Amino acid sequence: MGNLNASRRNFVKKMAALSAMTTATALFPGILFAETQRNNASTTGTLDWKKAPCRFCGVGCGVLIGIENGKAVAVKGDPNSPVNKGLCCVKGYHSIIALYGKDRLTHPLVKKNGSYVQTTMQEALDLIASKMQKTITDYGKDAVSIYGSGQWTIPDGYVASKLFKGCIGTNNVEANARLCMASAVTGFLTSFGLDEPMGCYEDIDHADIFVLWGNNMAEMHPVLFSRLLDQRLKRGAKIIDLTTRTTRTSKAADNSILFRPQTDLALANAICYELVKKGWVHRSFVEKHCSFRKGLTDMGYGLEDNYQFKDRPKKINYKDYQQFLEGYAPEKVTQLTGVSEKDIRYLATCYGDPNKKVMSFWCMGMNQHTRGTWINNLVYNIHLLTGKISTPGNSPFSLTGQPSACGTVREVGTLTHKLPHGVVMNKTHREHAAKIWGVPVENIPSKPTYHTVEMFRALDRGDIRFMWIQVTNPMVTMPKLKRYRDAAKKEQRFIVVSDVYPTPTTDIADVILPSAMWIEREGLYGNSERRTQYFEQMIPAPGEAMSDTWQMIEVAKRMGFEKQFSYQKETHIEEIYKEYTRHHEGKKHAMPPLSILKSQAGAQWPFVNGKSTQWRFNAQYDSACSNGEAFHFYGKPDGKAVIWQRPYEPAPEVPDKEFDFWLCTGRVLEHWHTGSMTRRIPVLHKAMPKAYVEVHPKDAKRLQIQTGDLVLLTSRRGTIQLPASVNERGIPEMGQVFVPFFDEDMLINELTLDAFCPISKQPDYKKCAVKVQKA
Amino acid sequence: MKRKGIVFLFVLLTASFITICDFSYRSGQKGAYMPLERELTSQDFYIEEGFNQEPHSAQRHSTILWDTLFQRNTKEYRQNRSFYGSPPSITHPISKEMSMGGKDCLQCHKYGGFVEKWKAYTPISPHPEMVNCRQCHVPQKSQKLFKKTHFVRGSAPESKRALLGSPPSIPHSLQMRTNCLSCHAGPSAPKEISVTHPERMHCRQCHTVNRNQGSAGNFFKRNNP
Repeated sequence: MGNLNASRRNFVKKMAALSAMTTATALFPGILFAETQRNNASTTGTLDWKKAPCRFCGVGCGVLIGIENGKAVAVKGDPNSPVNKGLCCVKGYHSIIALYGKDRLTHPLVKKNGSYVQTTMQEALDLIASKMQKTITDYGKDAVSIYGSGQWTIPDGYVASKLFKGCIGTNNVEANARLCMASAVTGFLTSFGLDEPMGCYEDIDHADIFVLWGNNMAEMHPVLFSRLLDQRLKRGAKIIDLTTRTTRTSKAADNSILFRPQTDLALANAICYELVKKGWVHRSFVEKHCSFRKGLTDMGYGLEDNYQFKDRPKKINYKDYQQFLEGYAPEKVTQLTGVSEKDIRYLATCYGDPNKKVMSFWCMGMNQHTRGTWINNLVYNIHLLTGKISTPGNSPFSLTGQPSACGTVREVGTLTHKLPHGVVMNKTHREHAAKIWGVPVENIPSKPTYHTVEMFRALDRGDIRFMWIQVTNPMVTMPKLKRYRDAAKKEQRFIVVSDVYPTPTTDIADVILPSAMWIEREGLYGNSERRTQYFEQMIPAPGEAMSDTWQMIEVAKRMGFEKQFSYQKETHIEEIYKEYTRHHEGKKHAMPPLSILKSQAGAQWPFVNGKSTQWRFNAQYDSACSNGEAFHFYGKPDGKAVIWQRPYEPAPEVPDKEFDFWLCTGRVLEHWHTGSMTRRIPVLHKAMPKAYVEVHPKDAKRLQIQTGDLVLLTSRRGTIQLPASVNERGIPEMGQVFVPFFDEDMLINELTLDAFCPISKQPDYKKCAVKVQKA
Repeated sequence: MKRKGIVFLFVLLTASFITICDFSYRSGQKGAYMPLERELTSQDFYIEEGFNQEPHSAQRHSTILWDTLFQRNTKEYRQNRSFYGSPPSITHPISKEMSMGGKDCLQCHKYGGFVEKWKAYTPISPHPEMVNCRQCHVPQKSQKLFKKTHFVRGSAPESKRALLGSPPSIPHSLQMRTNCLSCHAGPSAPKEISVTHPERMHCRQCHTVNRNQGSAGNFFKRNNP
């Protein structure tokens, strides 16, 4: 009571002060308050804030960059961006520092007699063009290739595709998104016939339950995870973490359920079994909007060169599917998955409860998987069976890891089988592309050539002789690294690398081109939720550094394709974007005009009648729906989404007596991918100076390993030494170890296996067998 | 004996039932009376976002002693920031690498306090509702650099006065920093930016944001506008 009295007295005092101030304003008009002062206050310094999408992951946060005297000096979150609403993560806040590393590549370097000699940009581009031409004459069109990235801006990817597929006439165009999003793409294509999520980030504000499938979102997509935490605080939403390793996400989640590597396939089927058994299937939705199919099984793992696989889907009916699920009753899979029957039923209840809106998230855990396409299909099955899809809050959401994995690789189609619109195998699609590109349709070959792993194998075999690598660091990221590094170093191979810093990939280059990075040029990115974002050039590029787009245009002109690449230097990004959007005309994929993108924090395609489409396939929001029903999965000829019968199959390499641990690789919050940018940001490098191997405390005790002790990791492909980490950032299960891949001094990919999903051709970086010894 | 025991048990149960009912009825009555009391607290007069979460902090500030001996200065304040306005790094070692802020960081950084070991006052978070702290704030485990950098921090914007003697303006953006007192009052506030009159609470009545910093805008916390 005493307290109350005190605060009452205090309050009276304060009210008196307040009223005195109010009176003062009324009595003495000379006293300035709020607005009056705001208008008179001079602006400080010359700081100019300009908007851009973040350079790092696929979330696509809007950032505001403070420019002072031609230098980027500060970053803050863009409060007007619907993606991050003003919040960034530590990488985003410090992103501009990555522009100013002292070892920035500023001039082209050409390898002569084993050492690099500086040259001019004109000479380097001449050399590249002539080498490319000579390779084509000597070995044929399919001996030249380009390997790009999900960090390519949209114009970069577009000119690459146009130059290689349209003009030169080879499908040797790949991008590192093959290592990252290919299973998501084939998952979407097989289930819905069209790539990319139907929902958007706004689903987060509506969902009641978030299920994270092997996704350490607290570290890898921190801004989105903060949006989940915010919804939990405000609305009591639940977060369920399905994982093989205990992480920061597990600690934050309401429920963390551990499963054994690869058994997510069985777990997803078991959830479907429960949904069917308990009668939680949304009957009318399934009858109207879904069909059932099964594909080939026992597909292999692509470990051998020239491995080929083509799925042969077969129609089945609901009865067949139900019968297939019988094998996945919770009591049957609990042994295999390590998940208790109770937890499986709990998960099924979460998805099955008709009053709960559910959002599933996943990223590399499901995509970097030798059955990546299958597990993507299986999670869609859960959402389709319950009808929890394409409505606000009900959303299976495939996250991406690169700023333009969606925008450039998936939408522009910088993969061997893709075109900006459609695939090379389709004659109409080829004609459509050829017409816009201004090339004869015969130029575009109808057969895909090499996917990423096979492209590097072809380089090893000598089928490919020239490779141009842009904005990516394959000599850190390729699985079974040694084979591909040795391949690149072989005689009679010519490698061009465009990058901003020296990396292990520039080490294998014959020509190194300095690139203009991010806001040193003009460009566009497309994030995970189909949002295309524009950024202007804000600061000059250092030295002779040139945008990847312009590098390719210069080379194309030198190769005699002036007509197709007659863009003006000042306006080429606008011209290219305009040309590119012609490929996507129509209600299903119309792109927003550049003027809109310049004025706001991006827009989501299909952009129809001046509006973004937030939920595709839902007639209420998506004008491309035309069947008169509430939902229309127009990506498939019959307008129905596919529920796939996909079984559990084991991983290609499982721990045995000699190699008795599972190895899982991944990222950490502080570093982005191979660390070539983030390690040059002092605050991030100091926070996470080197890689380590996480070991379960019990295994550590048995092997007498403590945090910091050197550990020898050995797989059938290689050996590396790195310090142990016990009970720190993450705790793998017993019999498993985890190593982040950002550290070029401890290349974990020397150990990984180049097995891939036969449908998506995406390698599995999450599972192989290793031996753990104290060094 | 057994029967007596049962009777006794029932008597006890009834008695406790009555007591509990009575207590809950009385506290219900009290609750019903509370709004009147509540109206008399100053809570409803706070307009700034941060204050709504910590209604009494302003009053606390007006009563606690400011220990100037261990107060920071702005130089120290800027040392663990890469540029003006960047999220500060963590200056102390961390024992739990996996934890979320609510259970760990905020134990100290919500209300502050003196830490004998570091001879310093704990800075108070202006946005304690965001619990994935390590998303933006990272420790510094090594002092070595991977590669040297050319990055130079820009100059810190200055606080201006419209007229001689008018209240200074706010030179920084208010994003995630609407709770002014967390940095401008109390013993953890840097000397130069400590406010002389924390008890007035409604800071932005007199202090406005510089034009080129923008307002707090469509702030992260307001997810559903």
